[in-house]
Amino acid sequence: MERFECHRNWLAVFFAVVLILLTSFLIIPSVRAGEPAQETEAYCLGCHNNPDLSLELPSGETLSLFISPEILGKSIHSPLGIECEACHTQITTYPHPKLDYQSRRELARAYYQACQKCHSDNYTKTLDSMHAQAANAGNLNAPICTDCHGAHDVQKPDKPRANISATCGQCHTAIFVDYKASIHGGALIQEDNPDVPVCTDCHGVHNIQDPRTSQFRVESPELCAGCHANQELMGKYGLSTDVYNLYNLSWHGVDISIYKANWPTIWHESAVCTDCHGVHNILATDNPASTVNPANLLATCQKCHPQAGPNWTGAWTGHNRISLERTPFVFYTDAFYSIFSPVVLWGSIIYVVLQIIHSLVERVKRSLR
Amino acid sequence: MKPTTPPLPPASEQVRTEVHLARFKLGQRWEHAILILSMTVLLLTGLPQKYRTATWSHSILSTPERVELVQQIHHIAALLLIAEVFYHLGHAIYMLARRQLPGDMLPTWQDVRDAWQSFKYLLFLSKKKLPFGKYNFEQKFTYWFIFFTVGIMVVSGFILWFPEVWTRFFPGGIIPAAKLAHSTEAIVAVVFIIIWHFYHVHIERLNLSMFTGWLNAHDTRQYHPLEYQRLTGEPTENSETGESQ
Repeated sequence: MERFECHRNWLAVFFAVVLILLTSFLIIPSVRAGEPAQETEAYCLGCHNNPDLSLELPSGETLSLFISPEILGKSIHSPLGIECEACHTQITTYPHPKLDYQSRRELARAYYQACQKCHSDNYTKTLDSMHAQAANAGNLNAPICTDCHGAHDVQKPDKPRANISATCGQCHTAIFVDYKASIHGGALIQEDNPDVPVCTDCHGVHNIQDPRTSQFRVESPELCAGCHANQELMGKYGLSTDVYNLYNLSWHGVDISIYKANWPTIWHESAVCTDCHGVHNILATDNPASTVNPANLLATCQKCHPQAGPNWTGAWTGHNRISLERTPFVFYTDAFYSIFSPVVLWGSIIYVVLQIIHSLVERVKRSLR
Repeated sequence: MKPTTPPLPPASEQVRTEVHLARFKLGQRWEHAILILSMTVLLLTGLPQKYRTATWSHSILSTPERVELVQQIHHIAALLLIAEVFYHLGHAIYMLARRQLPGDMLPTWQDVRDAWQSFKYLLFLSKKKLPFGKYNFEQKFTYWFIFFTVGIMVVSGFILWFPEVWTRFFPGGIIPAAKLAHSTEAIVAVVFIIIWHFYHVHIERLNLSMFTGWLNAHDTRQYHPLEYQRLTGEPTENSETGESQ
């Protein structure tokens, strides 16, 4: 009797399992039918994992059709379930529709349009960029999404941060060489420093603008101030945050702020940060190769002030507060006027007011007489 | 200088005779006019440059060409002022060489005592009205204040005009110092002239002798008793009390 009971329990479990399995077979295919998109990777890789799979384009270029399952698996999209046909929307069957692109570039410029399906905001920004202008002007090598982000190997762009600048450096090689040697680039590449700017911090990301315009020029000090006027950030490196405020009060800075406010489209030569410190090749002031190192400063001034002699650099007060040690002439002039002006003005005001009071009293006295 | 009395009208009780005494020569009046002209132009073209971050300045310096024009006008007015300075100093040296430079304008210890006495008088601590000569200490202070102001403005202005030349001989620090001095001194001087000079020549009494050359006998007797005595030979009440001091 006991044994029979036991058998009945096992039978119940068996039937329950069979029932669950049958129902699940009924349910799951219907889910699959609704979202066919997310299951194609394995299917496609059935053919495309063949390293020899390729195609000859009319241009004579060979288009490899090999997709490394390993690289694809490590991309940002694949583990999230965003698989082949999310981008390759036109391929739904095998055999595939015929490709009618003349060259690899033509194909790339057509395929990258798929990015805007999900990343429409960033895609729209690129339409306004310097790169899009170059493309519109006929330069088909101007970068598209996949040139910077990759295609099947898309990764987060800033892991590590140095990748961002390295990516730009693929085309802007000379600038990247300068940048790598600069105080910013060196700290980025050698230490993965999170505080130094990479290319996109100054130039923008998707809507990169032409940095050679007068507008960019007059706005550039503000760009540097974004970090160099930040007390917390500069404190870490022992740098002064007065540089921007004092520059703004200086001859150069006032000029630039006026042009920025009134005539941003008129080119103006008054010095901005980069004229003296360099652009991509900025070095620390105490570096003997720095353009603003005391040893090189006069030559830097002479770029705009060719007549300047060796004493000229002493005129520079644009980054330092008035102090006896650094700027004695200004210090004494300032000290003189801080006494002279109030003494003269208050002295004359008090004297004249006393005269007025006295003459009024005299007049009243006379009328009472 | 001889007392100058215009021909007297026929004696009559209805006619009041106003006697004028010579005070400023034609050359001095021209110098003053040139000072007014050049300083006004310098002020009007200098202020927008000093305050060029202000909105009102933007409406004057509305284009880069306008900035350049304003600077050029400022420079031309400065050259006029400098020419005046050369004339003034040259004339003084010429007069000095001929032993004819009147010492009226030179500051003396008496001026310091006068200032103190005046201060007490204004505070009703003393009833003595001071017997001034041709120039009282207020006028001397105006003259010497403007003398040194013009000196500072001319030197600092030239440093700012030709900074590269100056720093060949002097330390670079003079450029920012000149900029500070030029713009501060200008404001101090303008405010001083408005408060001090305008009060004394327009409000206290209307004194146009610097334009006409003449000061009436009444004002001369009241404000410059010693000068009145010197010109007319008549002692005044004030001049006598003054002598005793």
